Amino acid sequence: MGEGEKRSAGAVRRVWAICAKDAAQELRRRVAAASIFFFAATAVTLVSFAVGPFGLPSEARDRVCSALLWIILFFCAATGLPRAFVREEETGTAFALRKVVSSSLTLAGKTLFNYLLFLAITAVTVPAFSILLEWRMGSVGALAAVVVLGGYGLSVVSTFLAALVARASQKNVLFVVISFPLLLPLLLSAISATIEAAGGSSPATALRVIVAYDGAATCAAYLLASAAWED
Amino acid sequence: MKILKSLLLPYMAAVIVGAFLWPAPAQGFIGESSRIVFFHVPCAWTGALAFLVAAGYSIAYLARRNPRHDDVAAAAVRLGLLFAVLALITGSLFARIMWGSYWNWDPRESSFLLLIFLYAAYLFLRAAVEDPERRAKMSAAYALFAAVLMPFLFFVAPRVTSSLHPQTVINPQGKILMDAPTKAVFFGALIGFTGLFFWMLSLETRTARLDRVAASRAAAR
Repeated sequence: MGEGEKRSAGAVRRVWAICAKDAAQELRRRVAAASIFFFAATAVTLVSFAVGPFGLPSEARDRVCSALLWIILFFCAATGLPRAFVREEETGTAFALRKVVSSSLTLAGKTLFNYLLFLAITAVTVPAFSILLEWRMGSVGALAAVVVLGGYGLSVVSTFLAALVARASQKNVLFVVISFPLLLPLLLSAISATIEAAGGSSPATALRVIVAYDGAATCAAYLLASAAWED
Repeated sequence: MKILKSLLLPYMAAVIVGAFLWPAPAQGFIGESSRIVFFHVPCAWTGALAFLVAAGYSIAYLARRNPRHDDVAAAAVRLGLLFAVLALITGSLFARIMWGSYWNWDPRESSFLLLIFLYAAYLFLRAAVEDPERRAKMSAAYALFAAVLMPFLFFVAPRVTSSLHPQTVINPQGKILMDAPTKAVFFGALIGFTGLFFWMLSLETRTARLDRVAASRAAAR
């Protein structure tokens, strides 16, 4: 194995170690993880009570349901994802983490954990939303692609911004304020792709925008990781 | 430099007089509403320029860690927001006259509103961090992150709804569709607003530097 391969294998191990550490911490404090799922359940229940399966005209159904679904997913992400860095500051482990692992690898590990957490939230929320609102998907594969690609962008941007707000005051409000305008292009594309997926057509254009957004956000987060996280 | 600043006042006065009196109102617009192009487009241009300046000085700050670069970036964002809000207001006035409503969810209107949210969030972030060095570093990181994702606002928003916005300056033909007097006043206004922005930027930066020096002296006492 060459020097470069060894280094990249070490980087992957560190990224995975940070992800596993966050998962272990999250599982140890079950209340924290459960609160995100409870938030999702409350939001889906509220929407289904307010709108119900027959409360929308059929021509507006896909558009309104897609928008509501992504609004719920955004607020679930805003509730859970910033904790990745905030917890390090609150428990006093941030300094040690900065000394042991480079900022870009820390960001990658926490992004991976947040992405898995987001996928877990989605795996519960989307079927529940679909059942409670009697909302049938035209193309389940296309919806899965939107969730996988859109969720990745959401996780990258949320994790990067979480690193920024971790040492600021009013973290939770600040996170929503600064993340909303940055995530809006992604959310609008995800909503329009979900509308097309619900109608059974291929959301190719919207998915291309999401992939481009994901790529740009990943590069920017990687290059700016040290400015956001290091002292 | 002082001469240029002294010339700016009569120059802007000439631009304003020219904007109201020289070119005839453009055809296809209600009454004199087309004259707003001499103020609306320069405000939008200056706002965008200010955000580019902020991104440039944010890169400079991260490279050299000079607090003066942070002062310029923050001042550029504040001024950019001022010009962007003015562009939004003048656009809304035009929309009311031409289309009967102040807000039409026109893609350029809504993408500009999102741009304002994006940079207003920058000021919220600055206000939430106490330590000046950390504040400067985080603001620079946010400004650059926002600059990378900003093009998606302008790519996605126009695809959500169709646009009523006049295509006199930005259009698929890549031409400025104006007669000679309108073009002269229009470019005169662009130059004037750009000059005004850089003058205001130098004033804001100097004020911020004085504030910083006063704060460090107060802390040393």
